Amino acid sequence: MSLSIRWLAPAAVCVAASPACFAIQYLGVEQAQALIFPDAREFVRADARLTPDQIKAIEAKSGMRVRAAEQRVWQARTEGKLLGWFIVDEVLGKHEFITYAAGLSADGSVRQIEVMDYRENYGYEIRNPVWRRQFAGKRLGDKLKLDEDIKNISGATLSCRHITDGIKRLLALYEVALR
Amino acid sequence: MSSAPVIVRRARPLLGTLVDISAQGDRAERAVQSAFAAVMRVQRLMSFHTRGSDVDRLNKLARRTPVAVHPWTWRVLREAQRLSAVSRGTFDITVAGCLVRWGYLPKRRSAAVDRRADWHDVVLLPGQRVRFRKRLLIDLGGIAKGFAVDRAIDRLRAHGVLGAMVNAGGDLRAFGGAPQRIHVRDPRHPARLIACADLQTGAVATSASYFAASTWRSKLVSPLVDRRRRASTNRSSVTVAAPTCMLADALTKVGLLRGPGPVRRLGGQPMIL
Repeated sequence: MSLSIRWLAPAAVCVAASPACFAIQYLGVEQAQALIFPDAREFVRADARLTPDQIKAIEAKSGMRVRAAEQRVWQARTEGKLLGWFIVDEVLGKHEFITYAAGLSADGSVRQIEVMDYRENYGYEIRNPVWRRQFAGKRLGDKLKLDEDIKNISGATLSCRHITDGIKRLLALYEVALR
Repeated sequence: MSSAPVIVRRARPLLGTLVDISAQGDRAERAVQSAFAAVMRVQRLMSFHTRGSDVDRLNKLARRTPVAVHPWTWRVLREAQRLSAVSRGTFDITVAGCLVRWGYLPKRRSAAVDRRADWHDVVLLPGQRVRFRKRLLIDLGGIAKGFAVDRAIDRLRAHGVLGAMVNAGGDLRAFGGAPQRIHVRDPRHPARLIACADLQTGAVATSASYFAASTWRSKLVSPLVDRRRRASTNRSSVTVAAPTCMLADALTKVGLLRGPGPVRRLGGQPMIL
């Protein structure tokens, strides 16, 4: 065990202060599918299009708001047998916007969660639909200026509460619309 | 013809935060999955909230009878007690009692905690068993996150990756590879990030009070309480570098409550903002 660290001079600390707007791309859809269901031979698109009644039922079961009536879902299959459900979901915090993949087993239990995209922003309101639309299609917009150098932050990171809440909502979605 | 080494970077919601692991090498993907498994194991053993975790069993039973714990929990408890002794009680895992009283941790049936109880009343017995001498509650939030990072690093090394970085919501450790620039949040403007160091090998952890209100609600986090004054701290942000993340994590609390001198004496390099 050893320590090899070079502290930056206090002057450099001030100069290097950056605007906090950055993004990390972890996984694409296919990569996340392979990671969560390595045993699957095929992924069959099975998007959930929720009726108003289903949305109400999901909100009642989970206690969470449903923002989108459409949810990207795939069935993970091998030789005709259903292994489980692969769901792509998005959650929104005060400053962060996270896309993640949830794998549910065929019985509805959580198999694995993987973060696909993480974006943090303080410059302006993250709830602004224009800001969010820039991320549509899960690709970084060229117009968007993001600091790619900010990769390692020490110190209180935002909690994962929004993902935890998102998973509660997905489990209710499973009960209402997938099972 | 040689191909560039594979770099894998993954993140999962664990320990009440996002755990981010990156690794470089041919079998990096398997190594990273194995590292996540180690973090999940620490979460199962040491969460204050999870029923049946070692911490939960201790808080329910150890006042009445010695409770055997997992070797990992034992290691964390031993290190916590050592740090309590050398910091003369600045670091103290029994602050959980205060936190429950103040409503920062959930009340439980056995919440009648003896106000005089402190770390001296946690007794480590032969056979990796633990007994409490008074009615008290322990919370390993101030040290277990760092321990989880260290176990993840062990797994990555065992899989033979060339270099790796594990970041559990700000408690991070790296080895191999090129030096990595580490940023901290400006405690006066958490929106701003400040570049503070280049880390090649070793651990860096930061404790600060700016997101404390929300982190209190999640798992395995350490509210910053001065055990001796039974009051919250007002220092804003302390970053500590140390060979292991468990030590760096624990020493940030010492730095917040007692300043940089004691951190240096206990083997850490502090930076206070």
